[in-house]
Amino acid sequence: MGTQVKDVIIKPDAPSALLLDKHADYIAAYGSKKDDYEYTLSEYLRMSGIYWGLTVMDLMGQLPRMSRQEIIDFIKACQHECGGISASIGHDPHLLYTLSAVQILCLYDSVDTIDVDKVVDYVKGLQQEDGSFAGDKWGEIDTRFSFCAVATLALLGKMNTVNVDRAVQFVLSCMNFDGGFGCRPGSESHAGQIYCCTGFLALTGQLHQVNADLLGWWLCERQLPSGGLNGRPEKLPDVCYSWWVLASLKIIGRIHWIDKAKLRTFILACQDEETGGFADRPGDMVDPFHTLFGVAGLSLLGDEQIKPVNPVLCMPEDVLQRVGLQVDLLS
Amino acid sequence: MHGRIKIKSTAQQEEEKRKEREKKLKIYVSARDTCFSKVTRVLLIQVVSNHQVLFSFLCGLCVSYLHSMFLLDTHCQRKEGILDEEALQVTQQLLSSNPDFATLWNYRREILMHLETVKEKDEVQKIYEAELAFLESCLKLNPKSYGSWHHRCWVSARLPRPDWSRELSLCDRCLSLDDRNFHCWDYRRMVVKVSGVPVAQELGFTDRLIGSNFSNYSSWHYRSTLLPLLHPESPESPSPSHEPPQPSPSHSPQTQSHRVCEEQLLKEYELVQNAFFTDPNDQSAWFYYRWLLGRAEREEMISCVYVSRDEERVAVAFSRPVNAQSVSLLLVLDGQPQKVEWKSVHPRFKHSPVCICDLPPGTISDITNEHNLTVHWTEKYTHRDCALYTGRTESWCRDSATDQELFRSELSVEKTSVLQSELQSCNQLLELEPLNKWCLLTIVLLMRALDPLGYEKETLAHFQTLKEVDPMRSAYYSDLCSKFIIENTVLKMEYAEVRVFSITDKNLTTLCHLDQLLLVTHINLSSNQLQQLPPQFAMLQCLEVLEVDNNRIENLEGVYHLPKLEEVLLKNNKISALADLQPLASCPKLRRLDLRGNPVTQAANIESELTALLPSVTDLLL
Ligand SMILES: [Zn+2]
Repeated sequence: MGTQVKDVIIKPDAPSALLLDKHADYIAAYGSKKDDYEYTLSEYLRMSGIYWGLTVMDLMGQLPRMSRQEIIDFIKACQHECGGISASIGHDPHLLYTLSAVQILCLYDSVDTIDVDKVVDYVKGLQQEDGSFAGDKWGEIDTRFSFCAVATLALLGKMNTVNVDRAVQFVLSCMNFDGGFGCRPGSESHAGQIYCCTGFLALTGQLHQVNADLLGWWLCERQLPSGGLNGRPEKLPDVCYSWWVLASLKIIGRIHWIDKAKLRTFILACQDEETGGFADRPGDMVDPFHTLFGVAGLSLLGDEQIKPVNPVLCMPEDVLQRVGLQVDLLS
Repeated sequence: MHGRIKIKSTAQQEEEKRKEREKKLKIYVSARDTCFSKVTRVLLIQVVSNHQVLFSFLCGLCVSYLHSMFLLDTHCQRKEGILDEEALQVTQQLLSSNPDFATLWNYRREILMHLETVKEKDEVQKIYEAELAFLESCLKLNPKSYGSWHHRCWVSARLPRPDWSRELSLCDRCLSLDDRNFHCWDYRRMVVKVSGVPVAQELGFTDRLIGSNFSNYSSWHYRSTLLPLLHPESPESPSPSHEPPQPSPSHSPQTQSHRVCEEQLLKEYELVQNAFFTDPNDQSAWFYYRWLLGRAEREEMISCVYVSRDEERVAVAFSRPVNAQSVSLLLVLDGQPQKVEWKSVHPRFKHSPVCICDLPPGTISDITNEHNLTVHWTEKYTHRDCALYTGRTESWCRDSATDQELFRSELSVEKTSVLQSELQSCNQLLELEPLNKWCLLTIVLLMRALDPLGYEKETLAHFQTLKEVDPMRSAYYSDLCSKFIIENTVLKMEYAEVRVFSITDKNLTTLCHLDQLLLVTHINLSSNQLQQLPPQFAMLQCLEVLEVDNNRIENLEGVYHLPKLEEVLLKNNKISALADLQPLASCPKLRRLDLRGNPVTQAANIESELTALLPSVTDLLL
């Protein structure tokens, strides 16, 4: 009796070269199919979709191909009276999309086109007594939202407007026996949450509170024989989890604990040679989300055709330099 | 977005698919638009009936729907109940297929809250129960939707007469379909907390799940949160078996309160052993076992105070990193509180276990004077004294750290026999599975818990095997092995009471525990695989001679403001630019520098540039 390792097999004819031009064409065309069924169905996360598309274009040096003014106007129309920003017009504001919008405006160096003070008030208003952040006024609590809150404020240079000490205490209360983090106190560790929490601790200058050796071990054990990384034990590998795990390892100074060459092979195999773009796993349908995290992952692995990416904010390093945001990582 | 397999299709199939999607799109868009206008109607009524929701109304409303609002003005006359139920109907259709459409859940909540104000309590109960039934159907279709689970939390909290046992059995059913669904586990924890399910009962639940399938990381995780509540380590607090688990900041696993009492620990060892003997490749049990073997945090204290007459400097080492700028320290010299500025040893290293401060010039420079120093860590109510006698140039006061305190598992002596038998079991398993990496690593950890120096040779051999059987993680094993070698060398240095630290030709890939080397004057790390001397290296405040020949060093960031450093031997490394040597310029006493065999020696004018950069160096080898 033995556990079957859940993994994928990379076929010998899987793509092994980086198809940057195809990916740029794929993203450039994606937004023009506005009456597409898939596109309409994903309206509830449109703002993040735009952030994924623009960031990957910027990392590939193709940002000018996107329609800057249209996007800025769209963001302006998505800011609500309360200061929060929604995924799309007609939707409700939420921290997830507020961060995406601020990230986009940083890419375009035009944060001042929205009411920044109101954004700050919105974020501030979502902090709870215990230091946690609700995603919106309906009160869902999650360490993802702690990350969204401090990332938004850090990009706006307004970190000190919230109670950072309490926010840190809450995130630390979500630390688990394996050194990882979950959504709320007591929740199981999960690579996505670990990325949010280590990113949060980097932005708040508290990375020394992480048990980096223990967490790094859990993270590097996410790498499967195919080279891909999963998000939790006994799960399948996935390009987006490859990013969450890889970025977390980078943040805690342990990125060399995985086999970089094998991960690169896995990520490249998730490309679609016909359409461009990356899928979650080889042979699946591509989408902008996995396309960003595929390209960003390759950047962290040191691919020189791609701009260096910041592991905490998943944005090009040159953009953060322009914003004047420097995030210290563990060495 | 996940797990949608791409299927190759013919042109005709493509066309049919396109038509199909177009049809679906039309239906979806018209439903969404109806819904937005319904919502507008409902909200309009709310505005009329309740001024408080005006704000949320404006927030939620978009420009493009403003005109439909006016068109729908007349509908305000209609009976509220019918309108509301209609809106619930339409959002229901949309949410069943797209449960991540958060705004629609918000609209439903607004409607439901409105209904609460106009309906009788029994009716409200019925409406909310219908909502739970609808949610159950959503969760069946899409058990991993954040939106559906959060809405269920919200509804459960507002239900006039909640039925928590029904919620718990929903969790049971959901987890029987997928025992790793973390949304459901989180919902379960909420239900358990609110309804006061005893911790012991929940622990029994994990017993059952683990009993039916050892390979269940979620259950092992849940155990790690329950055990410390049910069987806490400290003897003074009795088992709170009737209280629900209440994870709070003070219950973080990183604090001492999260340890388990030893009696229960022994039972857990047995359970995990059953698991990994049944399936030695199942990582869940091994991760849990490593947690069981873990040690408690060290007590928060000042572990060392060092004072140097020459530099008129005080260095303080702590048992955990502190922020020099904000830590509450008070330095008393000969009964007088001193105004000093505490700083970290390196600007890139804000939270450091070593802080330094410079005394006002002339305070302790006269060698014929004796001085008494006390450093108070006021917020922790702890302090450490240090006397600097006449004729002495330096002095220190420290804990003679034993291996127990520093690096070993926090287990009492009588349990050593238990660990010994654990080691025997693992060795038996290794005989059956000689290449099992989990077993090998666990054996290494057990050996360290038992006798780190005694088992050193076997530990190193096991690391070699680990790198061979699990090459993807060889860098992890190299770093862990380096850590253990450093720990052992610190222990040997403690026993020998010397200030020389030497690890040569041991394949060291990383440096750690450098705060333990505060008093070291000579360090020899030659012939290893080191790539850098990190900022933490600046904690070696007493260092006079640094030998790191034959490594791969390209970065000297940590050789920074070391006041006593005289010799740096860097032969055969990878220093390639003059700028990489810049940190050395901050070491005032440096006089000998050996750079032979580094790429930087090939640069033009290197000698004159080095002389300009490092004027104190009189003995330069290029
Ligand atoms: Zn994914």
